[in-house]
Amino acid sequence: MAGSEMNRRDFLKVSTAASGGLLLSLSLPGCASLDTGYQEDTGEWRPDAWLELTRDDRIVFTLARVEMGQGTYTGLTTLVAEELDVPPERIDVVFAPVDAAYRNPLFGLQLTGGSTSVASSWEPLRAAGASARLLLVKAAARVWQVEAGRCSTRDGVVVHPDGPDVLRYGQLVHLAEQESLPAEVPLKPRSEWRYLGRDRGRLDAHAKVTGQAQYGIDVDLPGMLYAVMVRSPRYGGNPASFNRETLLGMPGVVDAFITERGIAIVADRYWRARKAQQAIEVTWDNREAIAVSGDDVFAGYRQAATDDPGETERHDGDVEALPEYEGWLTAEYEQPYLAHATMEPMNATAWYRDGHMEIWAPTQAPDLGRIAAARQSDLSPGEITVHTTFLGGGFGRRLTQDYIEEVAAIAVRLDTPVKLIWSREEDMRHGFLRPAMLHRMTARLEGEVLTGWDHQIVGPQILDWYVRNAAPAQYPWAPKFLYDTLGKVGLAAEGIATPKDISAIEGAVDYPYQVPNVRVRHTHTDPGVPITWWRSVGYSHNGFAVETFMDELAHHAGADPYQFRLGLLAHEPRHRQVLERAARHAGWGEPQAEGRARGMALFKSFGTYVAQVVEASVEYGEIRVHRVVCSVDCGQVVNPRIVEDQIAGGILFGLTAALYGEITLQQGEIQQSNFHDYRLLPMHQAPMIKIDIVDSDEPPTGVGEPGVPPVIPALGNALFALTGNRQRRLPFRA
Amino acid sequence: MAIRLTVNGQSVSIDAEPDTPLLWVLRDELKLKGTKFGCGAGLCGACTVHVNGAPARSCSTALELVAGAEITTIEGLSSGAELHPLQKAWIAEGVPQCGYCQSGQIMAAAHLLASNPSPSREEVVATMTGNLCRCGTYPRIIAAVESVVGQYQAAGQSPAVTPVAREGA
Repeated sequence: MAGSEMNRRDFLKVSTAASGGLLLSLSLPGCASLDTGYQEDTGEWRPDAWLELTRDDRIVFTLARVEMGQGTYTGLTTLVAEELDVPPERIDVVFAPVDAAYRNPLFGLQLTGGSTSVASSWEPLRAAGASARLLLVKAAARVWQVEAGRCSTRDGVVVHPDGPDVLRYGQLVHLAEQESLPAEVPLKPRSEWRYLGRDRGRLDAHAKVTGQAQYGIDVDLPGMLYAVMVRSPRYGGNPASFNRETLLGMPGVVDAFITERGIAIVADRYWRARKAQQAIEVTWDNREAIAVSGDDVFAGYRQAATDDPGETERHDGDVEALPEYEGWLTAEYEQPYLAHATMEPMNATAWYRDGHMEIWAPTQAPDLGRIAAARQSDLSPGEITVHTTFLGGGFGRRLTQDYIEEVAAIAVRLDTPVKLIWSREEDMRHGFLRPAMLHRMTARLEGEVLTGWDHQIVGPQILDWYVRNAAPAQYPWAPKFLYDTLGKVGLAAEGIATPKDISAIEGAVDYPYQVPNVRVRHTHTDPGVPITWWRSVGYSHNGFAVETFMDELAHHAGADPYQFRLGLLAHEPRHRQVLERAARHAGWGEPQAEGRARGMALFKSFGTYVAQVVEASVEYGEIRVHRVVCSVDCGQVVNPRIVEDQIAGGILFGLTAALYGEITLQQGEIQQSNFHDYRLLPMHQAPMIKIDIVDSDEPPTGVGEPGVPPVIPALGNALFALTGNRQRRLPFRA
Repeated sequence: MAIRLTVNGQSVSIDAEPDTPLLWVLRDELKLKGTKFGCGAGLCGACTVHVNGAPARSCSTALELVAGAEITTIEGLSSGAELHPLQKAWIAEGVPQCGYCQSGQIMAAAHLLASNPSPSREEVVATMTGNLCRCGTYPRIIAAVESVVGQYQAAGQSPAVTPVAREGA
């Protein structure tokens, strides 16, 4: 989005709110730019705007990027507050309903992901705040008959240029609407920021430490029933029959029936539904079920890698023209399937009545949730309302709307509200996973000089699994019988009408090191295990492959891994800067404690440059991570503390994957079930973390995910330095 | 048969199957939603409450086992509008990210400080390590607990090193 060149008046609409206050609506450029030839006409009632100021001095900001821990609730509100010149705490935040106005302009869908929230809101939300402020100032100036340019604002009032007189924003809203905006509304220079760039508390902290924040699982409605599902242990299996009469005879059980995604059991209390679930006996029809076992996935990947060189996604110079074999080094890296394991298990609540359905759900993509519910009912998307709650973690899992499909399929059979809650075991076994991936790396060293790099990525791509709901969500007025067609068209039109799916190759095609011959290939093969985005997505596996292989090459060249990387980054100043800073802060090259070793990695993702140095040891046969030093360049910083938390959180998320993360299958069934066999990093295993944020004037970039990718290879490289054993498969083994 | 217990100082009578986990009684019968369901197996600590002053995993504590007991949940940790020192510290340190595990984290920390007002770093970690957080708020949790410990301790004692440290350029 060409933010700074944008004419702000073009996307800002000022009107009177139902409250009599001032309403500012943003229409983001890019929302309607899918170039499909279709009109952006949803025919929906649009009651909501982004910013509403009322006569009684309430300021209401509609948050269109869900809060799942990453800090949008605080960060985006601060963007508005800064320009409106009010403390962020003064602003009431409400979660956005589904509306085309709230789509993420980078995706054309109303979703929160890809570490894009601040980057995509940076310009328009500050412009909204600045525009509202300017209108209020002009209204005050007219009241006082003074020049607007001489008036100032402070904490929700306009201050008279000559004296103590002030007018509250609330006193001015009915006048402000009459004022006009210039083509370009100036934004505050950084030197005048009061809230941006400063450590500030989280606006949702009070609600979250008192138990008052409402997550999806907390939704409670009068007469609400509880549902649990019994799904095929093997993906693709279907229930043929079950002991329905037995279940119906159990206390509190209201109904039990077969749906598209399994058997639903509905009861008056959650525990009664759960007990009925224990008593179920099902005959499964497994004709369409997957049967993947153990090493089938990687055996299949190896075969595919050999049979199919893959689609070339980048080719500099000519890798194949280099002399074959002599001086070429190869390595193969494997990464398993991973679950998201959000602390709040999947859940959703629905109420179907009077030709309408209301959904309450912790979802990263409410417009996709609406399509999911429409599929399972006789309703069109316009007849479905989605209320978004706080999310107890997302990490990409809640971009897939299967749990909303389930609750909708249940709700249409009832005339009361119903809440579906997944157990932890179901969450682990019926989720959509980070794909398992195989990487075949080949490189040519001529002496110490790296002259060739050939990276073959083997595995599925996420769009294949996602497009089913995403394509119809972009055209919600389309008749439902077209949904499957739209899904297929979405896939066929990949790279044309829809953005190219880079989920398998991101972080590999943008290999930053200066090497004359570089080729990156993707061999597309899919074992049929359901997948979705997982915090840092393709970067999570490509980061491991690229930065581990770089470390291997440094050792082959007899070079220091730091100097080896640095020597290939003359043209990449931002990469170089974070690498140098991390090395300096970590004391790279300095002596260290007996039995410990350091490893490093450098990786850019979501526009953010991150270098990390990990210090590790092996004690009593277990890997111990002592310290992680991280330098990060994410452009301008909205809230340094939240940046630190996101980067530190990403580091711990990555370490969980490096040390424990592995989902395995046997005859199509996922073997893990709960936190004892899919472990999360506990507090006593968490290292000391030092974070160094580069002071920058560049536009802000993502921070929710970029902490994850480099910590995995940095730890593996430290273990190699310690033991001489190269870690080529995740999770690591001591 | 109704089972009586005291929740946040209020005597309540619950008519539910005796094997119903306390968690669902709190959440669905008493509408105290601050205590969270995480794993259903006592593995993550999101459902931590106090039973007669001791921390308990309410997801795997049957109602019949707490008949007559005094239960404290996150909603009852502080009295009136004044927050518990740990809740204040959690806000000051900006601990919560998604926030889902934090009720359990705070209840675990509250019991620790009630029984040991000046725990060492090792004691804090050894106690809190049973409460999982997927967002990675551990460093801030340690800092928040230690800030309260600092308030409890005599002035002049040096605070522990902050677990997430910021580096200058």
